[in-house]
Amino acid sequence: MEPADTHSSESLVALRMHRVLEDPNTDTRILVLCDETGKDLLPIWVGAAEGNAIRLAMDEVVTPRPMTHDLMKNCAEHLNLKIQRVVVSDVKNSTYYAAIHVVSRGVERTLDARPSDAIALALRVRCPIYVTEDVLKRRSSGHLDAWLAKFETPNSEARNT
Amino acid sequence: MIAQMRVRGLMFDPYNNAYIVILRDEDGGDMLPIWVGKSEASAISLALENVAAPRPMTHDLLKAMLDSFDAKVISVVITDLNENTYFAKIHLLYQDAEFAVDSRPSDAIALALRANAPIFASENVLRKQTSEELEQWLENLKPEDFGKLDS
Repeated sequence: MEPADTHSSESLVALRMHRVLEDPNTDTRILVLCDETGKDLLPIWVGAAEGNAIRLAMDEVVTPRPMTHDLMKNCAEHLNLKIQRVVVSDVKNSTYYAAIHVVSRGVERTLDARPSDAIALALRVRCPIYVTEDVLKRRSSGHLDAWLAKFETPNSEARNT
Repeated sequence: MIAQMRVRGLMFDPYNNAYIVILRDEDGGDMLPIWVGKSEASAISLALENVAAPRPMTHDLLKAMLDSFDAKVISVVITDLNENTYFAKIHLLYQDAEFAVDSRPSDAIALALRANAPIFASENVLRKQTSEELEQWLENLKPEDFGKLDS
């Protein structure tokens, strides 16, 4: 239930959402997070709906009705629960794990979450996003370079024409 | 006045490329169709079929947050349906106080199913939504349109 606790003593690296890449051939999106220097990248593959939820938050789009993560934020606000931070806390078999730290009246709870939900929520409540150093070390950004090469070329050409 | 509803099923609407959640009034037999998107339908389908996803889905996470602070979902109420804008309220009980949170009906239903909370519809909604439209639509359905949600 609380996988992040085992990592709480480890040092964390602050991340920000850099961009959401789209794979036009599949229903996949890639969340690209980067550290403060902009050099270290963490790519996380997510589904289309999850990617869209994050893109809406990045673009600060206000939808006519609350989307699911807006609802979660609103529930937390109504109950006076403070979403303090989210941490990408583990990676097993290419699946990333995240923890959402929520505080109320001095009581802290850690929620096990998919990184896509944790990040979609963090962007909406404007709380920091971290990754453990261990996870950052074990990331597989090698694939990302191939993806970037594959998708940026047609995109930039399209923009020029 | 409100009526308690049960989720009767989930269907694909090939004409609008969307899904329909069908709610039914437990007493009067009134049907209330609610059109939802694919990911919303999938969130409801997983709860209907009691599928435990390997990782918590978004509504599981919402429920986990409420559970971890002992907040309870008392009920959800579908309050209004307009052209493209549907309204619902989620009623929460937390530390002896009640809160009503604005929500889309799809989120409210997905949460209610996970929290075993009753789903209500305001009579105003039931009156507005004449079931003629649905019946006509059902008549046009082919047998292959029924079946499990393909997620």
